[in-house]
Amino acid sequence: MGLPQLISALRKIVGDDAVLDRPEDLMLYEYDAGIRKSTPGVVVFPQTAQHVSQVMRVASDAGIPVVARGAGTGLSAGAISHAGGIVIAFSRMNRVLEVDAGNLRAVVQPGVVNIQLSEYVSHLGLYYAPDPSSQKACTIGGNVAENSGGPHTLLHGVTVNHVTGVEVVLPSGEIVQFGGKAAESYGYDLTGFFVGSEGTIGIATAITVKLLRKPESVATLLAIFESVDDAACTVSEITAEGITPAALEMLDGWTLRTVEEFCHAGYPLDAGAVLLIELEGLREAVEEEAVAVKQVCLRQKAREVRRAKDEEERALLWKGRKTAFAALGRVSPAYYTQDGVVPRSKIPTVLQHIGEVAKQQDLIIGNVFHAGDGNLHPLILFDSRHPDQLERVMAASRDILQYCIDAGGSITGEHGVGLEKLDAMPLLFTEDDISIMTDLRNVFNGDELLNPGKLLPTPRMCREIAGRSRNAVLAQEGL
Amino acid sequence: MSTTTTPARFVRELRDMCGAEHVIEDPAQLHEGRIAGVAPAVAVEPASADEVAAVLRFANEHGLNVVPAGGFTHQQTGNKPAQVDVLLSTRRLTEVEHYDPGDLTVGVGAGCTVAQLTSMVAKDGLLFAADVAQPQRATLGGALATGMTGPLRHGYGGLRDYCIGIRFVTADGRKGKGGGRVVKNVAGYDMMKLLIGSWGTLAIVTSASFKLFPAPRQTRTFIARFPSSGEALHFRDAVLRSPLSPICLELISPEAGSLLPAIVRQESSSRTEPSEAAPGRDTEACWCVLLRASGSDAVLVRFRSELGSAVPREITDEDERRLWCAIQDFPHTLPEQRPDCVLMSLWLPLTEARTALDGLLSLAKSTGLTLVAIGRVGVGHLLAGLCPTEDSPADLAALSAFRDRLPRDASMRVLYCPEELRAACFRTPTDLASMRAIKHALDPKDILNRGRFVF
Repeated sequence: MGLPQLISALRKIVGDDAVLDRPEDLMLYEYDAGIRKSTPGVVVFPQTAQHVSQVMRVASDAGIPVVARGAGTGLSAGAISHAGGIVIAFSRMNRVLEVDAGNLRAVVQPGVVNIQLSEYVSHLGLYYAPDPSSQKACTIGGNVAENSGGPHTLLHGVTVNHVTGVEVVLPSGEIVQFGGKAAESYGYDLTGFFVGSEGTIGIATAITVKLLRKPESVATLLAIFESVDDAACTVSEITAEGITPAALEMLDGWTLRTVEEFCHAGYPLDAGAVLLIELEGLREAVEEEAVAVKQVCLRQKAREVRRAKDEEERALLWKGRKTAFAALGRVSPAYYTQDGVVPRSKIPTVLQHIGEVAKQQDLIIGNVFHAGDGNLHPLILFDSRHPDQLERVMAASRDILQYCIDAGGSITGEHGVGLEKLDAMPLLFTEDDISIMTDLRNVFNGDELLNPGKLLPTPRMCREIAGRSRNAVLAQEGL
Repeated sequence: MSTTTTPARFVRELRDMCGAEHVIEDPAQLHEGRIAGVAPAVAVEPASADEVAAVLRFANEHGLNVVPAGGFTHQQTGNKPAQVDVLLSTRRLTEVEHYDPGDLTVGVGAGCTVAQLTSMVAKDGLLFAADVAQPQRATLGGALATGMTGPLRHGYGGLRDYCIGIRFVTADGRKGKGGGRVVKNVAGYDMMKLLIGSWGTLAIVTSASFKLFPAPRQTRTFIARFPSSGEALHFRDAVLRSPLSPICLELISPEAGSLLPAIVRQESSSRTEPSEAAPGRDTEACWCVLLRASGSDAVLVRFRSELGSAVPREITDEDERRLWCAIQDFPHTLPEQRPDCVLMSLWLPLTEARTALDGLLSLAKSTGLTLVAIGRVGVGHLLAGLCPTEDSPADLAALSAFRDRLPRDASMRVLYCPEELRAACFRTPTDLASMRAIKHALDPKDILNRGRFVF
């Protein structure tokens, strides 16, 4: 099947106005929020699971790779198309299918924007907890694919801790259900396995998520430190106090000055670093913890600890944090974001190391990150017009990741592997680890029709595909 | 026999792999390790993941049926195996791989018992939250394989929420891992989720890493009593709507109360209401909701004021500890005291707990059985036992009918039933064909727990 036939087959499924194939339209779908690009052959906008299923069958017949795409805010090229491939864009599957307040669940289509779900259920006193910084744009489907985090995942967990069921279209076109509204389900936890599989197993078409009750009380503190080191040492001291904040974020001095000029959040311009600490829960508990956290910060040489007086001040402090990446766009033509993780007691040393790497490579590296769970986001600034800079950026990046791994950490805490960290996977996983994961992918996606070349590096040795595919099992058992 | 290898030969090979003293052939010891009455032909106790891999490669090559075993606390769940060629004990896999209290993480071997891990971290003021039954015997490998937790499931989540890394050996002897030692990690597939609750059918877990929590500094348990399950669940709903966040929220049926310390059945204690100093006023026919709170004095005062007169009783210290230990051990105590019972575990959407309990009560009534139930009803988990009374043996046909009437999103597993009633009472909303294909990918020759579970 050639591209024109494919496009006409897709138009028959979803309608003429739901397929894009003009070069100027396709250009809009060639990138995500990272630094890679690749132009798809066609973009299709399904409206139902049946549409997705039919598109998968057509793609399978034509042997053309498919990638699902939400808002394109990913940072690891997870939603970047195979050149000439099919992009299934979910902007027309953006309905909240059901709010089941009694069961504290919602069932949503993958194209629902993260923050819109919380807004949608706000009148019930409920919200959806995972809150990536891109939550005003990113979709729940994309969050599920990447197992996204966010500042408030310190207390509440990442996306996988909030998804109890998924309806999935497999590469075969079959529509299957994993899990449901119950908190857990007997049988293999395929829901949990699916979340974070980066679109390499199937495409979610309906997602059952937990809704949480809004906390009675929230305290947002800004602790101001003279040095990055003092702030970094405070992080594990807070948890040692027996307190688990809802969020515990850090911005270094360079980043907070850049952010402050952009959004006037009220950050001190002369500080070495700040911690943004949020506590939530029962009023009495929050008040006690706020006092305790302030004492810990002051003991760790904080210059000052401010507390947001009202919702407006709180929103402003968070605006600074959540728009940090955007603010950097004003001072640098490009930046590369890292996502390494270290045990939280290693934060002081890893930050020192990042400082040394910046000096060695003559680069500016800002740090704004989820300190509470050790998830770093060094932002390495560069100008892509100077190829040597990009080389130094990549060298710095490899150095930092290796440091994270040596410290007992990981290459990615929430952005995913995608294409971007494929090379780093063997630093973390053995050939057997990867071959087991590849066997599991092949159960569903043996022909790599879905998101080929992502997440799992191709093993050096050419291994025979072990195990039968799901469909072969079905055929044998006459199901 | 599913094997062409003579036992003598494979025993010799196993001795080479694990050392002669760790290959058990003594019939009396093997009898101790029988599963649904079937004694294993041989038992091995590998000391490392490499030794586990060697045993599995060998077993895979010869098509031997391997049963992984920890503390034998849930080994009687599932179908009766046709034969057990090799019982693989994780007893010697007890190494602490990493532990830094400041990181609130720990990694230990699968053979470490839950009690060992719990007391190790308790010394540093930390909590390992999987309060499974019989923690002195239950191993972490077993807890992961069964996916079991206990009353703390309400406040701290399940193993799927705080197991952050896992090492395992697949049936064909490949050593694999997922996750790592850090609390946030999305590199590679989430192997933890796949293996937790897989009942030893995909791989043998050799070690795992967990997130820990700061241990509560003080707790109180509030006991509320109701004449019916409906009213008890109504109270649960009110608690869930309130700003309170207890660490446990447990429903106790009247008959389950009789398996617990007497304190749960007494209307009031001398401590809170000195005027009613005569304890022992048992009111057996009550449904209880137990709510365990942690926090400062001010937080506990707030709990009291929110709960008001609905909760006349509270207990603490030794009484409280003993009560929760008894609840934690319920999945063990019930079958021990009533070997003729059927014990099932159900996961339900919150609102369906009511439907399920009504269904169970009417099933019990129509078949003359007694319902003995407890549950983490705030998260939709019920443990329900059906005990025969005189002349009414447990009726599995009625049980399957109940299972088939459960709502779409519910799932269920029979944890225990008498041997003569052994049946695969199982239900899941998840696509079975996908499960079977995954089983085949990691265990193509079906050597792990062959025939014991439907997937």
